[in-house]
Amino acid sequence: MKKLISLVLAAMMVMSLAACGGDTPASTGKADAGTKAAETIKMGGIGPLTGDYANYGISVKQGAELAVKEINAAGGIAGQQIELSFQDSQGDAESAVNAYGKLLDWGMKLSLGCVFSGETATVVAAAKDDDILLLTPSGSSDNILQGNDKAFRVCFNDSYQGTMAANYIKEHAITDKVAVLYQSDYDYSVGLYESFKAGCETNGITIAEVQTFTEGTKTDFTTQINKLVAADVKLIFIPIYAEPASTFLTQAKGKFGDDVYFFGADGLDGIMEKVAQDVTIADNVLMLTPFAADSQEADVQAFVKAYQAAYNATPDQFAADGYDAVYILKAAAEKAGSTSGAAMAKAMTELEIDGVTGNMKWTADGNTQKNAMAIIYKNGTGSVFGE
Amino acid sequence: MIEFIKTLISGLGLGSIYALIALGYTMVYGIAKMLNFAHGDVIMVGAYAGIVAFTSAGLPPVFTVFLSVAACTLLGVLIERFAYKPLRGASSLSVLITAIGMSYLLQNLALMIFGSQQQAYPQYVKLPSVTLGGITIDGITLLTLGVTALIMIGMSLFINRTRLGKAMRAVAEDRGAAELMGISVDKTIALTFAIGSALAAVASICYGLTYVYIKPTTGAMPGIKAFTAAVFGGIGSIPGAMLGGIALGVIEQMAKTYISPLWADAIVFAVLVLVLVIRPTGLMGKEVQEKV
Repeated sequence: MKKLISLVLAAMMVMSLAACGGDTPASTGKADAGTKAAETIKMGGIGPLTGDYANYGISVKQGAELAVKEINAAGGIAGQQIELSFQDSQGDAESAVNAYGKLLDWGMKLSLGCVFSGETATVVAAAKDDDILLLTPSGSSDNILQGNDKAFRVCFNDSYQGTMAANYIKEHAITDKVAVLYQSDYDYSVGLYESFKAGCETNGITIAEVQTFTEGTKTDFTTQINKLVAADVKLIFIPIYAEPASTFLTQAKGKFGDDVYFFGADGLDGIMEKVAQDVTIADNVLMLTPFAADSQEADVQAFVKAYQAAYNATPDQFAADGYDAVYILKAAAEKAGSTSGAAMAKAMTELEIDGVTGNMKWTADGNTQKNAMAIIYKNGTGSVFGE
Repeated sequence: MIEFIKTLISGLGLGSIYALIALGYTMVYGIAKMLNFAHGDVIMVGAYAGIVAFTSAGLPPVFTVFLSVAACTLLGVLIERFAYKPLRGASSLSVLITAIGMSYLLQNLALMIFGSQQQAYPQYVKLPSVTLGGITIDGITLLTLGVTALIMIGMSLFINRTRLGKAMRAVAEDRGAAELMGISVDKTIALTFAIGSALAAVASICYGLTYVYIKPTTGAMPGIKAFTAAVFGGIGSIPGAMLGGIALGVIEQMAKTYISPLWADAIVFAVLVLVLVIRPTGLMGKEVQEKV
């Protein structure tokens, strides 16, 4: 009997080992058939590819894939081809750390960090002692890069976005009286609101009404809409994600005047797909972004065309962030002359990159400051506001 | 004042949906003496049935409504037949766990079939809003109120005036004695599930037309709130479920308007605790002497 049990246990061990072996990340980059596997540079990315927030992760992944393809076609990084593996985290921090470990075992040398702030924070902390540069395309929460001097980002950070939004309203003389709707149990939303409030004070903008909602109450906005309508303002700042925004806008349709703007930040990306059943729901939505697909700049146009050809979709800001991130990693690795995290981190602070999301320079804390514009949606198409 | 009336109206609309769901909870509890926690998810199934019928299959509105009701009724009867009936003699704890399991089963099936992304419920009923003295009321809210009132009246008549209703009351009062009097307990319980689930389908239509977006977890929160409403009004009592649902909806919207959305749920449940402390059987519940 004992013998039987030990046999079964042994068999189980062998099987679990086999399962581990089968679990190596699938690579999506194209390695040149002629070069040996050892000569590729392995690049890893982590983000939600399934689940509620899959649209953000898929955008980043596709943007990054496109950049990898272009770089490989042009000869790679210092003659070495890039091999990209993008892992699904479902936006969950725990899964992201596991994915990070898996990528390290695979031999990752360049890291696109994670897509979301929460997962980025956890991975940044876990990677503190690894000699690897983490460049998150889209993790925008203020404090997530702290405690690891090899962590950087492509997007701008939340408090900067809130301030930018207030400045934008002032610069374009949209209005001097606004209202706010934000999600009070979500860091991203609260962070943007706080900095927006401070920005409004500096710019002399009055916040006439502040309404909130929570994860548990994000299906019914009736009472909030009543109050926001009563506030009688020309602009409502909505620093929230696309899904609750779609619910809010659907219920708000027809209740506000035709000249009332709904002003949001990067979280609104993907709103058009959420209201696909009636695109006019998103009319008058203004979105603050460093990237606009209909910008006339040549590099943006080339990127948009290539992306449309590859994925049959118009790239959003997350795709642009992913695309830029790959080029930034390439530039940093070439400047540093190695893929050592410490050397690349030093190179990052000396770089100046002209990407599709604007002109970027980095400070040692990992943040970048770049210009933003606002896109306005009308009948399902976005165009640069004021042009 | 205008704000108060607007809040009251949206509270009545939300409360009506709670009341429709609570009716199903309370009837099943009253007659089968079990808490059917899968009831909230029947609403979600009804909503997806509406999406499939109208958006995917292109059926006219009348058939869409009919199909939603038919799908939910069938689902309710099937759940009762295959999940709860075999446990008729088992302890109430086993039945409760089965109900929770059934709830997760339905949610995960919907997740597999429809995915986790929200889907828009087709707005096949378009009603003009009514403006009265500066207050605009959505047509859909009025429709919800009207439908709920009609169902309330219909259910009262059915329970109190028909033979089947009498049978249901008899089973609720004493299952053993009812069986001895020649009432088929199994059929009565199946009928209760059918009616409760059909009401859930009506709730799903009102919910879809009012709040638009549907996800696999859509039924969970309204289900819990409606269960609370049923307890609040006195579980087992049909007028109690209506009163509890409406009261809960109004309290929730008032709390959101005048205090904070952050506190709305806390206040709703605090009121429930308060009511249960003062009247342990709920607002309309009857004091029943437990037979030992």
